[in-house]
Amino acid sequence: MFNAFHFDTLVWDWPIAIYLLLVGISAGMITLTMLLKYYVPAEYNGKNPIVMATAIVAPLSVMIGLVILIFHLTRPTAFWHLLVFYNPDSIMSLGVMLFQVYFVFIFLWLVSLYRDELLRLVGKFNKGCLFSLVRNLSAILQKRRQWFENMLLVLAVLLGCYTGFLLSALKSFPMLNNPVLPLLFLASGTTSGIAVAMLVGAINQRFIDVYKGTLHFIHKIENPVIFAEIFLLFAFFIGLLLGDGHKNLSAHNALSGFWGGVFWIGVIGTGIAVPLVAGLLRTSRKQMAFSATLSLIGVFLLRMFVLYAGQMTVA
Amino acid sequence: MTGSSSRVLANETAPQSATSVTGSSKKVRYGLLHNETLCIGCKACMGACKETNNVPDGVTRLEIINSVYIPRTSTTRAVRQYFRKSCQHCENPPCVSVCPTGASFKDALTGIVDINDKRCVGCRYCIAACPYHVRFINPVTKTADKCNFCRETNLAAGKKPACVEICPTHALVFGDLNDPSSEISQMILANPTYRSKVYLGTEPKLYRIPGKHGVIDNV
Repeated sequence: MFNAFHFDTLVWDWPIAIYLLLVGISAGMITLTMLLKYYVPAEYNGKNPIVMATAIVAPLSVMIGLVILIFHLTRPTAFWHLLVFYNPDSIMSLGVMLFQVYFVFIFLWLVSLYRDELLRLVGKFNKGCLFSLVRNLSAILQKRRQWFENMLLVLAVLLGCYTGFLLSALKSFPMLNNPVLPLLFLASGTTSGIAVAMLVGAINQRFIDVYKGTLHFIHKIENPVIFAEIFLLFAFFIGLLLGDGHKNLSAHNALSGFWGGVFWIGVIGTGIAVPLVAGLLRTSRKQMAFSATLSLIGVFLLRMFVLYAGQMTVA
Repeated sequence: MTGSSSRVLANETAPQSATSVTGSSKKVRYGLLHNETLCIGCKACMGACKETNNVPDGVTRLEIINSVYIPRTSTTRAVRQYFRKSCQHCENPPCVSVCPTGASFKDALTGIVDINDKRCVGCRYCIAACPYHVRFINPVTKTADKCNFCRETNLAAGKKPACVEICPTHALVFGDLNDPSSEISQMILANPTYRSKVYLGTEPKLYRIPGKHGVIDNV
């Protein structure tokens, strides 16, 4: 009997889907925050709960994702080989480089954004040369904050696409070997970043009272992102259905059976349709939290669906 | 002969290219031919491979799969044909291009696709990327494993791969595809052959002479 979670051609299982989700959340939150900088500059500061949430969640979620990934290796103790040996032909290896640059720029951004807090913290332990060193270095960084923010926006978009490229390199699986996948993951990753930001906003009354511009901006972009995601899902499957026999078969296999149910009920129904309809109703904190949770579940289920259903049909 | 370093051993041990004394500057490109008209499905090759390369229980570097079975009738004998599932030693191996550490590599001197165990981290990207699904995690070394034409065992000892040596019907022919006089090149020129999944652009070097019987697809 066919088991939806254990089948012969399955190589990568659910921990990879969690990793894909966490990377998407990080990229989505950084993208959202950097867009805030451009579109709501008056409210873009280190005290904005959305910016604070990004400062914590964006680096943390990638770190957790990478730890999951390391323990998912068959030789976790050899993980440092990934940092020493590179293969420019390998998407995964390019991803390792991207993660490192991403971390460096998140660090530089955090130092430049939270310089006062950092100096206060360092000042508690040391008033001497360490303090002045940190003060002078962070002053240099603060002058270049604009540059770090622009770079982070680019890196976050690349990271959002990266997990899609990672899977689309697998020409052994016709459903995954699909040029729309990186864009689809970018859009749904952005949705997940917005969802986490909304969850943070929903539990924080001060945010709703004070940061009206931020809230308005998030509300303004969340639906267009979802519409883009719906269109990309459409293009993804139309491309498969119009493709060769293997691609066509992979779409039919994916959209029926257990994973077809996950897609229609979980991804389309729970993750997209219900939040969209709920968004039409009067907005409240409860509704915000409810919709955000459902979108987040939908994004995770999309990754589970793509990962598992994608490995069901072979070239 | 060029043979000064051990890296050139491939050239010296090439069973068919032993004649290429004059033009030894040309690279060796090893291939394998599975003659489905001769294969009787005895699976001696699977046993020999396991023993020669110390492949642990529960995993295998090659499989002989029954592809055609026509039951006997009152007037005809039963027909069985077999398909060899093993590394194709692609010219463009997807497993090599996806490998993040370069542990998966194509040997420049022989064209053999192999794995450097020391570098492999076990991410399984190569296992997912291989369209022939012939890679697996070796339960002992915890690294990706597959056929390497006995590169470090029989080839290094100047012999042909274990599966080729043991085959009782001579259904397997191993040799240098770059050498037009090699047995494998001659066999390919003289017979109808096919390769698996060429449409993927992998350029597999496992050639097959199809069996005489076909199957009607059950759509």
